[in-house]
Amino acid sequence: MNRKALYILIPAALCLLPVFSNAYWTEVGVMIGIYALLSLSLNVMLGQAGIFNMGHTAFFAVGAYTTAILNTICHWPIFLTMLPAGAAAGLFALFIARPIIHLRGDYLLVVTIGIVEIVRIALINNVFGLTGGSNGIFGISRPMFFGFKIVKGIQFYYLVWGMVTISLLLFHGLWKSRFGRALNYIKEDDVAAEGCGINVTDYKLSAFVLGAFWAGMAGTVYAAKMVTIAPESFNFMESVMLFAVVILSGGSQIGVLASVFLFIGLPEVLREFSEARMLIFGLAMMVMMVWRPQGLLPPLARKYPLAKRLLDENSTEKAA
Amino acid sequence: MEQFIQQLINGLAVGGIYALVALGYTMVYGVLKLINFAHGDLFTIGAYLGLTLLVSSNLAGLLTPVGAAIAVFIMVSLFVALIGWILERAAYRPLRNANRLSAVVSALGASIFFENAIMLIYGARVYVYPEFMRPDFSIPLLGINVPFMRLLIIAASVILMVCLWLFIQRTRMGASIRAVAIDQAASRLMGINVDRVISLVFLIGPGLGGAAGLMVGIYYGQIDFTMGWTYGLKAFTAAILGGIGNIPGAMLGGFLLGVTEALAAGYIAMAWKDAVAFLVLIIILIIRPTGILGERTADKL
Amino acid sequence: MKKIGGLLAIFAIVFLFAWPVAAADIKIGLMCPLTGKWASEGQDMKNIVSLLVDQANAAGGINGQKIELVVEDDAGDPRTAALAAQKLASSGVCAVIGTYGSAVTEASQNILDEAEIVQIGTGSTSVRLTEKGLEKFFRTCPRDDAQGKSAAKRIKEGGFKKVALLHDNSSYAKGLADETRQELNKAGVPVIFYDALTPGERDYTAILTRLKAANPDLIFYTGYYPETGMLLRQKKEMGWQIPMMGGDAANHQDLLKIAGPEAAAGYFFISPPLPQDMDTKEAQDFLAAYKAKYNSLPVSVWAVLAGDAFKAVAAALKEGRADPEAMAEWLKTLKNLPALSGTLGFDSRGDRVGEFYRAYVVDDKGAFKIQAK
Repeated sequence: MNRKALYILIPAALCLLPVFSNAYWTEVGVMIGIYALLSLSLNVMLGQAGIFNMGHTAFFAVGAYTTAILNTICHWPIFLTMLPAGAAAGLFALFIARPIIHLRGDYLLVVTIGIVEIVRIALINNVFGLTGGSNGIFGISRPMFFGFKIVKGIQFYYLVWGMVTISLLLFHGLWKSRFGRALNYIKEDDVAAEGCGINVTDYKLSAFVLGAFWAGMAGTVYAAKMVTIAPESFNFMESVMLFAVVILSGGSQIGVLASVFLFIGLPEVLREFSEARMLIFGLAMMVMMVWRPQGLLPPLARKYPLAKRLLDENSTEKAA
Repeated sequence: MEQFIQQLINGLAVGGIYALVALGYTMVYGVLKLINFAHGDLFTIGAYLGLTLLVSSNLAGLLTPVGAAIAVFIMVSLFVALIGWILERAAYRPLRNANRLSAVVSALGASIFFENAIMLIYGARVYVYPEFMRPDFSIPLLGINVPFMRLLIIAASVILMVCLWLFIQRTRMGASIRAVAIDQAASRLMGINVDRVISLVFLIGPGLGGAAGLMVGIYYGQIDFTMGWTYGLKAFTAAILGGIGNIPGAMLGGFLLGVTEALAAGYIAMAWKDAVAFLVLIIILIIRPTGILGERTADKL
Repeated sequence: MKKIGGLLAIFAIVFLFAWPVAAADIKIGLMCPLTGKWASEGQDMKNIVSLLVDQANAAGGINGQKIELVVEDDAGDPRTAALAAQKLASSGVCAVIGTYGSAVTEASQNILDEAEIVQIGTGSTSVRLTEKGLEKFFRTCPRDDAQGKSAAKRIKEGGFKKVALLHDNSSYAKGLADETRQELNKAGVPVIFYDALTPGERDYTAILTRLKAANPDLIFYTGYYPETGMLLRQKKEMGWQIPMMGGDAANHQDLLKIAGPEAAAGYFFISPPLPQDMDTKEAQDFLAAYKAKYNSLPVSVWAVLAGDAFKAVAAALKEGRADPEAMAEWLKTLKNLPALSGTLGFDSRGDRVGEFYRAYVVDDKGAFKIQAK
């Protein structure tokens, strides 16, 4: 059994999950899916480019609130708000990242913490009179999919996981592309990358904006699922959790999925323990990290078929 | 003007607490480059432990209040230092050779674990320190009355900072801590026992955190199991602001953050005070990318 | 291989827990924050409701049927609350009691509504919760506007002329502050200060310094007891003599511990009464049972309101209204049910009816004293 088997087994299990379990576990599956979208988008910044972003929920919040405002005030259908939500989050990311992207490691990390806190405080103080203050926004409508209304958990489940699948494929393509290689190079050594003619700032910014765009779209799904959103859902703790999901994953896409299952699923599994459930969860986090210090599933080494072929040709020439 | 001085002193007192917590943070960070999310919860443990010692033992009866306070401070620091040492052994040491962010996840797990452990042991309700511990008089200063306890907090953070700085700069042990902070592999080659140095750092950092927790307990009276998270975040911010890993920087960052918050609450908008503080932080970091006292060095090359 | 096996094992565990468990006679759900920053309230809610359930079962159940209480943790967080509500809905409960915090309740509302289960909120005072026209949502706590009216009345009676309104930006405290400001504006009492503090901190001297410069003759802080206690304590430390008032979130014994007797003396608030301040039979019986089991007095009025919610559900079950549809219909006609915090009834929107606010004052010894009506 190898990773290939995982690629078949996991989608099969995911497709069948809502059929074999009750509405509650389907709902948990929806939440895991939404957080998978978020974590995958954070993985572009943190896992691929090594940008320490601990304020990812800020972009999630911008997306969710964009959807909520467009839907409740302008009565746009949910799916139509998805691109504006992503764009709003992306633009916001571009605007804030431009002056801070050159900061190194932990300094960038604390700035992103600052951003998520500023966003939360702005939302709670009803900025521009649009966000509804601490009550948040309610009465967001359900998405319509070609005349078919998505209401039930199971319908959301397939919607969300469909999006996750698309994201996985797109991000996999990204990872294999020139862009993905450049990001990985920047992560390993940004000075050397700069020296090789990679425009580090531009690439980092692109990764930042792309990740934020995706998080904004995840915000749309979240708003549509919850129907009501409040600033409490977008706090610093959530950001830290997302950060931890990506670090625990090891950086590969499939690792992110496994990790998000543990982070969102485990507290639900532990409900049996009522008051003690978060205690066990904290312990489990430590144990998992100590058990696999490199992360659950680190990305496989890149393979370069062209280079291999050239090498092979070289050796045959020599032999001849 | 009087109001301005008043707010300044308010801010310095809050900043003194941030500085105390930030000292431990920056110690650990400086050596291991680890953001120790559990530091805030070690601080909470200090506060709870101090209360237990004060209430259960008859220290105040045996000694004078001042003597009792000193005894409790020493015991709490030692005990929290021990917890920090165990934590390093169990949760951070196995990750030392992994990606340095791996330990952040472990630290976060430890934070959740400690927070909930305190809740399960002590219960979720708030606890209140006995009144007799608190010096309840004020000293006139610049035309306003300043409670003695506030001056004590400010003084304590300055004194502890100076002691710590002298320890790091002037002693042999401090020199090896500095060496390990710069390059672990090279220090090992120079005959420094790296594991022992790191253990020492994990005794000092949490010990300071525990003492800060006790001080918050004595001064503010009210403690609860979630308080570490807020103080931890503020202290981390303060440490970054001053230039993380830098001991005078941590104190400076703490005071600056406290004063910014007080002035923002006093003159801009109370509800936006944290946002203003973070905005100031971001602006400072844009101007000085490694914090106020941080050294301007490139990571690589 | 090993790591893949480990992952599969984890998924298998998740699946195992996914199967529902066997059913009891009648199931009632309780959703409350057992972890997180409101854990103290949630654990009290659990204590009180499980005490009442035990009592009902010891008395042979309701109409001979045993009650099973299903408790789920919402952690005071909307996302967890949505999952907790779904879990309760999937476990076959006919009614859900809870929860604490309006935003948290709101996240669970539509899930329980879609699952067609009765929900009785206990600590969710935001006005709009019952304005959405949900058929099966009720609450045992008063609304912010009702409390705002009572508070404004109390301020007018006190003859205060320059009121400072302070809240903590939670949906509850902000709602109460807004409603009170409206009422005071109508009555022509000037509100000279209106702002929010950051909850969860220890030092509010910067805020008090600013308030002092505004020179009000009353501070009305609408938030929760921990911050109220700190405000009182630091106000005294500053040597500032000014009356301070609070809302029902201040009705918690820990307030007195935090502030200390001297600083708390003279503080007043309006709130539904605690059982120990009631002379009704229900309240006294409950108090005796509570003391016997937990060896203390109930500390928070919100947990008591969860007990009231159970009383309402139990009364509906006694009438044979176990079906959520029938239960909701019956609850809307409920009037004058003797409950822990006075008589209980609901209007057609699901709001609690009746005037049951009482004024409390902290006396010189540092104890809550209820004032005569």
